[in-house]
Amino acid sequence: MGISERISGGDTGTNRKTFMGLRKETIEGVLWSIPYLAVFTVFLVWPAVKGLYMSLHTYPNKFDLTETEWVGLGNYVELFQDPVFYNAMEGTLLFVAISVPALVVLGLVMALGVNRDVTGKRTLRAIYFSPYVLTVAVVALVWGQVYSQSYGLLNYYLGFVMENPPGWLTSPDLVMASLAFMTVWWLVGFNFVIFLAARQSIPERLYEAARLDGATGWRAFKDITLPQMRNSVVFVVMVQFILQFQVFAQPYIMTQGGPSDSSDTLVYYLYRSAFSQQQFGYGAAMGYVLVAILILIAIVNFKVIGDSNA
Amino acid sequence: MPESTQSRSLGAYLTEDAVRSALLHVALYGFAFLMAVPYLYTISRSFQPNRLLRDPRPYWIPPLVGEPITFEHYRYLLDNTLVVQWTINTFIIAGGATILIVAIDSMIAFSLTRLDWPGQGVVMGIILASFMVPYYMNIVPLYQIVSDLGLINSYWGVIMPAAASPLGVFLLYQFFRDIPVEYEEAARLDGFSTFQVYTRIILPLAKPILSALALFMFVYNWNAFLWPLLVLSNETAYTLPIGLVNLYQGNIDTPGLHMAVAILGSLPLFVIYLIFQGQIVRAVQMQGATG
Repeated sequence: MGISERISGGDTGTNRKTFMGLRKETIEGVLWSIPYLAVFTVFLVWPAVKGLYMSLHTYPNKFDLTETEWVGLGNYVELFQDPVFYNAMEGTLLFVAISVPALVVLGLVMALGVNRDVTGKRTLRAIYFSPYVLTVAVVALVWGQVYSQSYGLLNYYLGFVMENPPGWLTSPDLVMASLAFMTVWWLVGFNFVIFLAARQSIPERLYEAARLDGATGWRAFKDITLPQMRNSVVFVVMVQFILQFQVFAQPYIMTQGGPSDSSDTLVYYLYRSAFSQQQFGYGAAMGYVLVAILILIAIVNFKVIGDSNA
Repeated sequence: MPESTQSRSLGAYLTEDAVRSALLHVALYGFAFLMAVPYLYTISRSFQPNRLLRDPRPYWIPPLVGEPITFEHYRYLLDNTLVVQWTINTFIIAGGATILIVAIDSMIAFSLTRLDWPGQGVVMGIILASFMVPYYMNIVPLYQIVSDLGLINSYWGVIMPAAASPLGVFLLYQFFRDIPVEYEEAARLDGFSTFQVYTRIILPLAKPILSALALFMFVYNWNAFLWPLLVLSNETAYTLPIGLVNLYQGNIDTPGLHMAVAILGSLPLFVIYLIFQGQIVRAVQMQGATG
């Protein structure tokens, strides 16, 4: 205990009663929590409460937000009759339906591949994960040229195998798939490293035992790998659902929701409502609807993948 | 089993394994190459004149006629845009948020796990529940609050909401909780104050997780997009991601410029990634392990 020699005196009575009969430890505990709790309250809890209030009001004066008008559930009613909202919902669901399964399955396949007996695991991991550290703005700039119809990389090479390759960002049918594909490239590394860690923590003896029973390949995957990795699969699916449901920057930067509103999304519409059209109550209501949808998805997720292998 | 049969089957296994292994390597490295193609494309195009870039045919190796390689895009960016200022802004915001997050998150995690006080369970419960609040749901009211506080166009307007994230509290909580209480008891007997226990026992033990958290938060806040876009409307206050997009939308037909700014915009973080790859990956894996 060399350190003790450098400390002179000091108090050992952390449980001494002091201020107003409170234990010293209680006072200290609260004091140590206050910095985070202050930031948390002002910038996370308070907005959530204020958002509910805003969603029940309109703001007739765009420049004076103290002027409010109570509309009850008016914003919500209006929202559920708004065709732009349904279109944005459709776009978001399409994006989620393409990107989430691809992100999860590809991440898993990559992890199981790298987990095998390969040389250069570190290099592979470094490359697979690397796009994750790019900002979405860079991803959009680069892929804007990969997808470009006039000088794009993709269509130049596709031109060898097909005639008139499509405009990836200009075709209403393809634009969401293109944005989703790019997003998979950008984010799959996140899932990959989580799956890799989960796979590496499965004890090898489970596979040896299974081998003795003649269970290899697909059966070992189904009976050992998947159940053992269940927690990380649930985690990744949840995170990706929540994240991809809030897709915003890709359409904002690359397509502005076009062509003909085919790549509009919920958060993009929320952004436009609140910050271009200054409909703050409407935007806040949309935020709350978004949360309700995400909670619903979370419940369904837990019911479907959380229980099936339990 | 006769020996000949065994050696033959062993030989068959060996070659089959070798073929499998070769195929696996080809698949994994081929995939890595495909993932890296956008990088090579971006780097090579950032040095080519727009004349070549508008050609539908990509030039991986520039043709040796005319002026195949140019630094004009980089020169233009450095001379005519605020890209250096944006880089500095991004450093200040991401760095400031990271320092603040590590400080206040480790303090509350310490308080919730190593000190005993009534109500701490409820506090942790509320913080955990806030995970369910998606970030974007809050942007409209949050914008009003930040605006009322006079933080629009200020670094703090971006840093403070970032510091409210519960992720760090959650990760550190799990780690601090598992530190054996004996260390602390011994220190207390030696007369350590609470502050000394925190700085001399807990923080040194938590160094790996703290550095992983710090690097992850730095990367995350460096790349943040929507919130800085809302708060920073003044060009001199932009972070790199916002500046990049503004530059792109203002010069839609200059492919070389887009590629050069993509390189300049990601270079600082890529260098950090190459150096601290292990910690950044560990921070992601910790999230998965605790989820």
